[in-house]
Amino acid sequence: MQLVQRGDPRAFELLYDRHGGAAYSLAYRIVGKQGTAEDVVQEALLSIWRSRLRYDQTRGSVRTWILGIVHNRAIDGLRRSWVHDRRRETLDVVDERFEARERTEVEVARREEARNVRGALETLPDEQRQTIELAYFGGFTQTQIAELLDQPVGTVKGRMRLGLDKMRRQLAEGVA
Amino acid sequence: MSDHTRYQDDIGAYLLGALDDGERREFERHLAGCPECQEEVERLRTAADALPGSVEQLEPPPGLKARLMAEVHRDSNVVALPARRRPTRLVAVAAVLLLGLVIGFGVAQLGGDETRTVTATVAKAMPRAGGTLEIAGDSATLELHGMPDLGAARVYQVWLQHGDRLVPARTFEVGRDGRGEAELRDVGGAKGVFVTREARGGAQVPSEDPIVSVPL
Repeated sequence: MQLVQRGDPRAFELLYDRHGGAAYSLAYRIVGKQGTAEDVVQEALLSIWRSRLRYDQTRGSVRTWILGIVHNRAIDGLRRSWVHDRRRETLDVVDERFEARERTEVEVARREEARNVRGALETLPDEQRQTIELAYFGGFTQTQIAELLDQPVGTVKGRMRLGLDKMRRQLAEGVA
Repeated sequence: MSDHTRYQDDIGAYLLGALDDGERREFERHLAGCPECQEEVERLRTAADALPGSVEQLEPPPGLKARLMAEVHRDSNVVALPARRRPTRLVAVAAVLLLGLVIGFGVAQLGGDETRTVTATVAKAMPRAGGTLEIAGDSATLELHGMPDLGAARVYQVWLQHGDRLVPARTFEVGRDGRGEAELRDVGGAKGVFVTREARGGAQVPSEDPIVSVPL
């Protein structure tokens, strides 16, 4: 990361090789289209390349930092351009997706992690999981979720907080 | 309900990005002065940070890395990409196109000084196809019509010619009406725009001679 911050293209290439797959997978999950997901990843990673010095080691791993930036870009895009047009999900072509090949240790680890976190998410009561997914992957605000689900905002807030807390415990116990 | 309790209820929504801008600013103001909320945010952050890792893990399309690295090298003033094609191949492509496999070519100056439209040259195998490239500064839009449907496994891919190299740009699909378009960036300095048919996900090196070409 330090080399990336010094502007070394080879270091940036390594960063892409290590985290590009996770970044693209996240963007695709949020925007649901190959071309848009590519644009999101390209913009997010170029902003990292061009800003260089903003990574703060005290705020977690490089991967968490990168995925946070990709998430923000993707959600911004959703909120700006599509106004939550959920039709995209049904119009989308499943063939566009290429499952990651388990060729390297990094890819094996990334799929293993995905299985673990999905496992933790699946232990949540449906309404907590749904609320968390609508917020994080759907880009909806708590007020919008309350309207969508016809529930008081307070209930939605509670589901998010309780759900995250339960997920945290599951992940810590390694039960997932 | 005390102020603190009210804000504490927002912690989940804050970590998931589900507060609107006003709510978030208000929450952050409270958070800055509340050690109890800070602790809770850090505690739940581990779960929120794990969420992006839960999605189905996919292979990024190969063209993505090439485009990204081309931008990065351009920023560093390093020569763009390692040579992938022999110059003779492009000369051969150009010759083939000139030898009559094409149905039309023309350049028109339209609009103001900044915008120009170039007619695309299309392979004879696609008799109904045609299109234009509209260039505005460094960006361009390639609009094609009469393009055959490639089915689910293949897509059209755009290439930019820089020097004697073809650099992969984006992929696109055509609708049922045979129309398709691709927004292109960094067209300034390119000597031409080409289209090939590639496997879905795109390629780093063209697998066939271009079926559409726009010399610049």
